[in-house]
Amino acid sequence: MTGSPGVLAWRSIPDRLDRHFIQAAVLPTLLVMVCVFGLPLAFSFYLSFTGWGLDQPLFTGRFVGLANYEDLLSDPAFTGALGKTFGYTAATVAAQMLLGLGIALLLNVDLPGMRVFRTALIVPMMVTPIVGALCWKLLLDPSHVVLNQWIGQQIVWLGRTDTALGAIWVVGVWQNTTYVTLILLAGLRSLPSDPLEAALIDGASRRQALWHVTLPLLRPYLLVALLLRTIFEFRAFDNIYAMTGGGPANATMVLSMYTYLMSFVQFDFSLGAAAAWLMLLMSMAMCLFFIAAIRRPQAL
Amino acid sequence: MAAVVGSRRARRLEAVLIYAGLTALTVAFLFPLVWVFGLSLKTRLQVFATPPLYLWWPTLENYADVLQRADFLRAFLNTMIVSASAVLLSLCVGAPAAYAFARFPFTGRSFLFFALLVMRMLPPIAVLVPMYVLFSKLGLATTRLSVVLAYTTFSLPLVVWLMRGYFEDLPVELEEAAWIDGASRFGTFLYIIVPIARPGLVAASILCLQLAWNDFLFAAVLTNNATQTMPVLMAAFNAGDSGMDWGGLTASGMLVILPVIIFSFAAQRHLVAGLSSGAVKG
Repeated sequence: MTGSPGVLAWRSIPDRLDRHFIQAAVLPTLLVMVCVFGLPLAFSFYLSFTGWGLDQPLFTGRFVGLANYEDLLSDPAFTGALGKTFGYTAATVAAQMLLGLGIALLLNVDLPGMRVFRTALIVPMMVTPIVGALCWKLLLDPSHVVLNQWIGQQIVWLGRTDTALGAIWVVGVWQNTTYVTLILLAGLRSLPSDPLEAALIDGASRRQALWHVTLPLLRPYLLVALLLRTIFEFRAFDNIYAMTGGGPANATMVLSMYTYLMSFVQFDFSLGAAAAWLMLLMSMAMCLFFIAAIRRPQAL
Repeated sequence: MAAVVGSRRARRLEAVLIYAGLTALTVAFLFPLVWVFGLSLKTRLQVFATPPLYLWWPTLENYADVLQRADFLRAFLNTMIVSASAVLLSLCVGAPAAYAFARFPFTGRSFLFFALLVMRMLPPIAVLVPMYVLFSKLGLATTRLSVVLAYTTFSLPLVVWLMRGYFEDLPVELEEAAWIDGASRFGTFLYIIVPIARPGLVAASILCLQLAWNDFLFAAVLTNNATQTMPVLMAAFNAGDSGMDWGGLTASGMLVILPVIIFSFAAQRHLVAGLSSGAVKG
């Protein structure tokens, strides 16, 4: 971040004029950031330490210290949501990375028609998530039974505590596997071809070359894909809202869903704000990892 | 960097296997959408036929019904208004900032830049809870303006990140020439940079438009029946008072995703940069 190539050539120009321009250019962005991001987050931080209802005027909540956070951590629905969010995120990201890498390697082979496959495979990622999730809900609907017809069993996939989260996992993998593929494909295209050719000439098998040459070279891209998918799956909401709403019996209750229900169904904004802040802290940690990863000069 | 090894026959076999694998994946990935597209062309009776109908005479009645519904048309219009406004606002606010980020060192530059990244990465629900409270106290909740403002939390960072990368790649000589000819910084930006950066601005707009069009969570909380967007209406079709409305749901679903698919193909080249918030240049 020490400046872009163009910066030095501009030094001869009076600094004072530049300062005015910079201020005018950056100020609107700063203003929007403070209004839609900074102030709401500061307010919810405050809210999370008070007991407050929407019918009260702002800033009249009773200070309750850490009581909201204590309530959350002793609520089995919340701790369950915490565990499910981590489990769901790990399982979804792992599947997306493996399948995404596999597809990227296939698409990277130099054969005619690869663009068609690439274009077709990114469609699920483009489709409005709520529509994609509803398509799957129709597919799994017991009154309609496409899937059940095929496997010859009557299973209410989204209505059973042991299958609901699995079904949502499938949809998550379906939607964003090609996200990983696209990033890795960009990586594969940018790799130098010499090391791989050298390895193959030296008698390495294709598998050895992949494992010892391509994948290590691809590491920065794998890292970016992994971190971005983790950050985005951690906040999963749309699919769950559309398919199960967090049920049955909290089987698909993840943190986003919990925070949503607490705030906008139970209208307990103090607890909602506390849950939101716990989520924020966890995502902030992941973001710092991401920033550290892309900041290193050798990364990308 | 596809490696060339093995005999011609082995290579041909490999090509056949790769095509077979990719075809199977493509079928699996597109099946849910194709199936629902099929459902949207069925009558109510045909939808519930057991075993499912694989061949039938398609009907457009679901589409005709949906296109006559006032709530559908209103939601479609709302979606267009809020998405387009969010994109315009983010472009006007974000593009000059991206230019400053790309060309000038200033105090707080890195901090501001990473704050923008964090803004894009944090869970939307965490911002939405206090936003809803503040907006409803200000009398803004359930207005389209509140949705547009909420959308800037993702579209502004995206514009700044993408455009900064784009501006950095532009040669600096043009700007220097403009400066020597007596143009101001602002004039240079407006009359020299914006015109050459148009392809980048278009790509950034399309990527933002797609995110805004697809958003469900912000719109679900910040709108009412009059201001709701398409994804919110879709969710209502799903869980309406009279059970699920299959015809309305499938036909409107297809109509909602059609524009998105067109946008994305238009911006395919820039997709990777957009997805990775500029971390990977595609």
